[in-house]
Amino acid sequence: MAKKVETPKPAKPSKPAKEKKFKLDLHTKDQLKGLVFVSPFIIGVLMFFIYPITLSLRLSLGEISSIVGMKVKITGFDNYIRAFLVDVNFVPTFLEMIRQTLVKYPLTIVLSLIIAMLINRDIACRGLFRVIFFIPFLLGVGEVMQQLLNQGVDKAVLNVTDGTLIPYNVISYFGTTIMDAVQTILGILVTVLWGSGVQILLFLSGLQSISPALYEAARIDGATEWEIFWKVTVPMISPMLLLNLIYTLVDSFTNITNPMLEYIQSNGFQNGEFEFGAAMGWIYFAFVGLVVAIVFGVMKNYMHTNEVEEVKKHGEHKHRILTIEKKPKRTFD
Amino acid sequence: MIKIKWFRGQWLHITFAKIALYAVMLCLVAFTALPLIYLVSTAFKPMDELFVYPPAFFVKHPTTVNFSDLVVSLGSSTVPFLRYAFNSVVVTLTIVFLTVVVSALGAYSLVKFKPPGGNFLFNLILMALMFSPHVTRIPSYLVVNSLGLINTYGALILPNIAVAYNIFLMKQFIEQYPDELLEAARIDGAGEFRIFIQMVMPALKPAWATLVVMSFVSNWNDYFSPLIYVTSQAMKTLPLALQTISGGAAAVSVGRAGATAAATFCMTVPTVIIFTAMQGQVMETMVYSGIKE
Repeated sequence: MAKKVETPKPAKPSKPAKEKKFKLDLHTKDQLKGLVFVSPFIIGVLMFFIYPITLSLRLSLGEISSIVGMKVKITGFDNYIRAFLVDVNFVPTFLEMIRQTLVKYPLTIVLSLIIAMLINRDIACRGLFRVIFFIPFLLGVGEVMQQLLNQGVDKAVLNVTDGTLIPYNVISYFGTTIMDAVQTILGILVTVLWGSGVQILLFLSGLQSISPALYEAARIDGATEWEIFWKVTVPMISPMLLLNLIYTLVDSFTNITNPMLEYIQSNGFQNGEFEFGAAMGWIYFAFVGLVVAIVFGVMKNYMHTNEVEEVKKHGEHKHRILTIEKKPKRTFD
Repeated sequence: MIKIKWFRGQWLHITFAKIALYAVMLCLVAFTALPLIYLVSTAFKPMDELFVYPPAFFVKHPTTVNFSDLVVSLGSSTVPFLRYAFNSVVVTLTIVFLTVVVSALGAYSLVKFKPPGGNFLFNLILMALMFSPHVTRIPSYLVVNSLGLINTYGALILPNIAVAYNIFLMKQFIEQYPDELLEAARIDGAGEFRIFIQMVMPALKPAWATLVVMSFVSNWNDYFSPLIYVTSQAMKTLPLALQTISGGAAAVSVGRAGATAAATFCMTVPTVIIFTAMQGQVMETMVYSGIKE
């Protein structure tokens, strides 16, 4: 018997072209919706970031010919050359800033992760501890804290050299060099602790979002706490880790107390040399951008986003996070 | 390990690990709480204790004379203290509300819809993060000026809404929100805006609660926008008023030290209240339920 070949049914008559013209496919539609949602942000960025930033770039490359309409005459890289070759204080201030950051940056991240993990444990008065660790941030990013630091609070917190905490005999035994070093380390620790409220908060919210099932599974498989930390906690909080790394970096670079910014501020704005200030700002920006790009590039490979992306990136069997095997479908018999 | 009989016949287990944990925590807390203790006790210090060097952490003879000083020193100025407070409250609350809406919407669409140029916009956001606001201060002034916003609430509010860091923070959270939930809602016939309001926002409560706290604190303490964009006394906010009381940025005037300490204390109270109120939400676990493999 010959098989009856079914002829395909004739396609439905296509709709009139006029109607079809306005029909977007699903993908484009989604993209348009996305654009509508993001548009308020784009407008804000255009007005208060893109335009000012281009104006500042033009300023740095030239000199102001008329202050009224902010007319700029482009003269080339004079201001940049001046920063490196003519200005006496620019390079030393720059190096000082790098030194400070190198000391405080890793300390802040590690300390805040440790504290966040301590608070995340099941301990009494968790809420109280959280509030207390966040308080330095509440006290004000700038004004209030600045006043306190001006009064020498950070040095008075743990004064090891005045003989109240440690007896004089011990101090004289160690000698002043060592005691000074200890004092400096304690001072840095205190300022780092005071500056890590946000980091602790971010780490905490990252830790909170890890499903307890993962820990349970890992424990059942016989993982030690150390392994659990590296194989469950760290990959799962990696988005928050990246956020924190960048926040801390940027915060330390754009903090008002940063010596570099103070220098730009005093030189560029108070002396009225806007062009030179803008040029220094751009050099500084290029440097910060480079550092952040490095951090970003390194971290990108270690990021855990979600299961689907992870599989896409590493293949079905290679992604690092623990997966719970799919159960075979239960049959009711 | 020590066992102690607790009330209701329960046993309290005390292990050495626990003791060590609490000891470490207490040390850290002692460190971190010091600025607050200092701030509070300074507000109640009489004149002779204010200028002791090195500064003492605890007040010996507490008085409230600083607060009455504050009232007196402000009573002589033309603008009442409450006006500054009102400005601060209006500006900060508006910024917080708008920035949460704008960043949440923006981040949500950047992550889930992937609009054309989304990647470029994200790179731009990263760039904006690194850019020190000090460099663009004068150009920003020109923008605000050309919009005719000088000496209005608009000048204090608008430049602080589309903050790169806020959208970055929301994006990090939204990336973890499962697509399956959105698909399910779409199949059930929910509109995009409804999905956002009724599903995404409640699930992202920890994210925007964090954002509320951070943006409230930073805008409440924002000193530069009012300094640049506002010239009239009636539009100034608290941080600037604090500067006026203490007698300018450069010289901390001796006579006003007590009043300044009191004003600083008053300024910190709202931020502490906001954080204490929100901290339960901030720490709440993100809701991922609803998906079964």
